[in-house]
Amino acid sequence: MSLVFEHVSLELGDGDQKVKALDDVSGSVSPGELAAVVGPSGVGKSSLLAVCGGLRSPTDGEISINEQSISGLSPAQLTRIRRDYIGFVFQQSNLVPALTSVDQLLLVPSLRGRRPTATDREHALALLAEVDMSHRADRRPDQLSGGERQRVGIARSLMSDPMVLLVDEPTSMLDHARGHAIVELLATRCVEHKVAALMVTHDATMLDSASSVMHIKDGQITQEH
Amino acid sequence: MFIALRDLKFAKGRFLLMGLVVALVAFLMTFLSGVAAGLIRNNISGLIQLDVTHLSFEYNNNKPSYRNSMIEREMWEGWQALPGVLSAEPMGHTMFGARQMNDAPLDDVVLWGIQPGSFLEPEVLEGEALGRLENGVIISELLVDRGLKLGDKFILDRVLTELEVVGIVGEHTIGHVPIVYTPIRKWQEATYGPPGGPPPGEVLPDILYDFATIIALQVSQDFNQNRMENADMELGTLTIDKVDAYEASSGYIEEVRTVQMIQAFLTVISAVVIGAFFTVWTIQRTKEIGLIKALGGSSAYLLRDALSQVIILMVMGTVVGTSIAIWLGGGIETTGGFFVLDRDTVIASSILLIVAGLIGSALSIRLITRVDPIIALGREQ
Repeated sequence: MSLVFEHVSLELGDGDQKVKALDDVSGSVSPGELAAVVGPSGVGKSSLLAVCGGLRSPTDGEISINEQSISGLSPAQLTRIRRDYIGFVFQQSNLVPALTSVDQLLLVPSLRGRRPTATDREHALALLAEVDMSHRADRRPDQLSGGERQRVGIARSLMSDPMVLLVDEPTSMLDHARGHAIVELLATRCVEHKVAALMVTHDATMLDSASSVMHIKDGQITQEH
Repeated sequence: MFIALRDLKFAKGRFLLMGLVVALVAFLMTFLSGVAAGLIRNNISGLIQLDVTHLSFEYNNNKPSYRNSMIEREMWEGWQALPGVLSAEPMGHTMFGARQMNDAPLDDVVLWGIQPGSFLEPEVLEGEALGRLENGVIISELLVDRGLKLGDKFILDRVLTELEVVGIVGEHTIGHVPIVYTPIRKWQEATYGPPGGPPPGEVLPDILYDFATIIALQVSQDFNQNRMENADMELGTLTIDKVDAYEASSGYIEEVRTVQMIQAFLTVISAVVIGAFFTVWTIQRTKEIGLIKALGGSSAYLLRDALSQVIILMVMGTVVGTSIAIWLGGGIETTGGFFVLDRDTVIASSILLIVAGLIGSALSIRLITRVDPIIALGREQ
């Protein structure tokens, strides 16, 4: 298993404001699998993504990536885990405004402390080709449509050859057809790159391509199939 | 520098404006340094060219001052007799108003009384050395601009001493007033004698020639501070080295302090402006910083990147501003204005500006460390 979370709880806020965002949730995702977490807004979907990605430390429970526990690691160690093992696809694509599409991908080796090489560039262009974005490689985010930005985001998430892909509402800014195409693309890439992907979405119509589905409500997984 | 360089290109309008501000501050700092050095040189250029190691003033509980000092023959003869003293010459310093023979005013001049042929006598650009004529003098070329030339005679106001120009030197000034190098006996007569010289048929008393303003010294390297203090105690003098003697020139300290204060203000303003710019810039980039952290970018990576952006901006702005100041100052210098720049001053003021910018921005880019990567998921920190 590439991603395992066991008995994970997360409390947010202090005192009277304390909220249990996750309540004893468990699950796992294998390489090549796209697991969907579905539920309405505010039930804990993104909190699950945050703890799995080391952006929040869980109050309780254990998270493992490639059988290595990431619970209790320092912020600096978690940053390295994200850099080396995890790819993110964000809700609003979240591209760096100053970078062209190809540079968005070349940022990944740069974050590892090395100057991007010609091989990196070839790899980045190949990934952009996989998401049908070769022709927009030298465009900046403000010159791309919402769907194109999301495709670049997907290509970037695969640039580091991650073990785990965490996908946050990838279709929320897109129309149904484009959203569907993006989820299909993600599912295909996960199989091809043997990545374990956890995708949270509130849109139940986007689940056709998912290998498994977890329903979440009030911080608890209520159904899994 | 991966993001820094691309950010500079992407937001070039914003960075260009900020670069212009840096260039303007660099220009002001360099230009002001040049003007200050020029002004200071104009104040003490006569002292700078003096081939002395120290100057001895009368000890009188005041700070050394040319106006308040009067030394006697025993003092300079005492210094001349000391082992380790290579040369000791009396020197006179008095300011007079002067006018040409046709009554055209020459404004103020400073008469420096020196022994003709001594180490205090400057090399002339035109004319001859002191000594042939009893009232022959060497003038600063600033007085040529006021209408004097070789062979001209002029009169000192008040004392009505008549002097004749036998030589011309460069822009020698003290306290921004042109210097007239005069045989010391003539200086003593003008300073201590009766107006217009002695009555017909009489001579001035010898005691007149036993006084001067200061003693100009050349001492050997082993003549240490301790020996200097002992000599001062014994002879009733107060001896300071040549550079300290600049402060005895009228207005010198005030000029230097004023310029230093303006430079300090400019440095602080520069640090604050750069700091403010990068604070706003960092706040505007908060979401982007959160994203990069979520992707695995460390705070150190982001700080390095932001700092390199500051360095590029500061260095380029400083080079542009400094170059314009050097170019403009060069023009002023060739037209005879107060402007002097040396390489060390340019380097020092440039480094000072860059360091000030780095300090100002360092405080702002520290905000980077506080950005929580969770905002990449669209959540507030």
